[in-house]
Amino acid sequence: MSAALLSTHGLVARYGDFQALYGIDFEIAAGEVVALIGANGAGKSTLLKSIMGLLSVAPGMVQLKGRPVGGAKPHRMVAAGVAIVPEGRRLFVGMSVIDNLRVAIDHAGKSAANGWTLERLFALFPVLKEKQAVPVQSLSGGQQQMVAIGRALLSQPRVLLCDEISLGLAPKVVKEIYQALPSICETGTAIVLVEQDVGLARSSSNRLYCMLEGRVSLTGRSTDISREAIGEAYFGGAHAVA
Amino acid sequence: MLWLDGFVQGILLGGLYAQYALGMALMFGVMRVVNITHGDLVILLALIGISLATTFSLGPWSVLVILVVLGAIIGVILQRLILNRVVGADPLPSLIATFGLSIALQNAMLQIWSADTRSLGGGDIVHASFQLGPLFVGVLPVIVLLTATVLTGGLDVALRSTRFGRALRAASADVEAAALTGVNPKTVYTGATAIAVAILGFAAVFQSLRSTVAPADGAFQLIYAFEAVIIGGMGSIWGAFLGAMALGVSQSVGFRIDPGFGILAGHLVFLIILALRPQGFLGRG
Repeated sequence: MSAALLSTHGLVARYGDFQALYGIDFEIAAGEVVALIGANGAGKSTLLKSIMGLLSVAPGMVQLKGRPVGGAKPHRMVAAGVAIVPEGRRLFVGMSVIDNLRVAIDHAGKSAANGWTLERLFALFPVLKEKQAVPVQSLSGGQQQMVAIGRALLSQPRVLLCDEISLGLAPKVVKEIYQALPSICETGTAIVLVEQDVGLARSSSNRLYCMLEGRVSLTGRSTDISREAIGEAYFGGAHAVA
Repeated sequence: MLWLDGFVQGILLGGLYAQYALGMALMFGVMRVVNITHGDLVILLALIGISLATTFSLGPWSVLVILVVLGAIIGVILQRLILNRVVGADPLPSLIATFGLSIALQNAMLQIWSADTRSLGGGDIVHASFQLGPLFVGVLPVIVLLTATVLTGGLDVALRSTRFGRALRAASADVEAAALTGVNPKTVYTGATAIAVAILGFAAVFQSLRSTVAPADGAFQLIYAFEAVIIGGMGSIWGAFLGAMALGVSQSVGFRIDPGFGILAGHLVFLIILALRPQGFLGRG
């Protein structure tokens, strides 16, 4: 499909001798929110790592606007307009909130079409403005997640990959963070959401992909897919629950 | 008076040690790379400087400029060729690789320059001194201390508030996350090592003006630099400066207690601080 902003084509990834992904075809268009669900070990994070260049894949397996970018180094992917909120946040401990954000500003991609600025970020997450001089390790989990999202946004991504941004956070905080997603897509940024909470993934995405043992087991519009179908795709036919 | 003189001379000696320690603070304290060749590079630069000065009859300040530039180039080569392959969470690979390189460098220097001690002629400035109250203070040691202070301040500001400094701190905190934020870790590390070895260009000139150098002397510079960084606190640039002062004063006062006790006094103070305050003066507890 020519409308795809980011796509993968028969993507295969392995950790040494262990093959983790078996031919993933995935795509996302500008302004779209696509959820990636599946059990632990299904390969969701591996897919994001392969896209970001943390695992080596063949060039044609990952394409950005049809251009092959597979296997490019992570900093090249950021420059090309793909940013990630990594699992576990991975903030720069020992540095202040503002310095964490400035690292992203210093090395932002050139596709500044969506024009993320500190002002716009502080409007989205006001608490970060108050805490900007504070070392990141002294923030609460939710505030740290906001810094991680802000850091990724200030890289000016056309595609934002979010790896388990609700993990370990209080429901109220999760709600607050998910409420920010629509205003991120407003300017055409596409969001890939890796999410454990299937209900949340469904309600906050346009489309979803369900992964099982390194393959896509189900894909479609989030509103069209039934809970039963998800249950079957999530656990595999033999263990269908729901 | 003896003790006051010991203290003042110790501070001045600390200025030289701070120049050894700054590059170490950057590489060991911030990047967590153990570079055993640190001291050998001081000696290598000093010997090159002395040869250049005698061959082309250059003054010490021309030699200084050449050695700082040469140091930066050596730093780039060292990082590209060796350290980029061994940099990581585990300090052991960099330790082993640079340990081997250190031995190779020492033997190469012995081959080229022989085991003779040499020094750099600096003209009148080496012997000039002025009276400060009851004490006589050398002009050169004061220049060394001022240079060390300016280098420390400059490096501290660069780390705190420049694009390069933030990228280096980010890469040191979490190299993968830094890469995912657009930082190219190899470029940043190369820049840091270039700066670290360029500073050794200053140390090389002042060391060979103040005293003598011989191919096997590098171990002293290496251990003083390590001690200064650890006394001051890992990751703190001004900490390394203070650590160098503590080491200089301990040695200088030690010499006045007994001429054979100076170097040992420095090591003892290091061990005492390591036992009482392992995170160093300015390190985070």
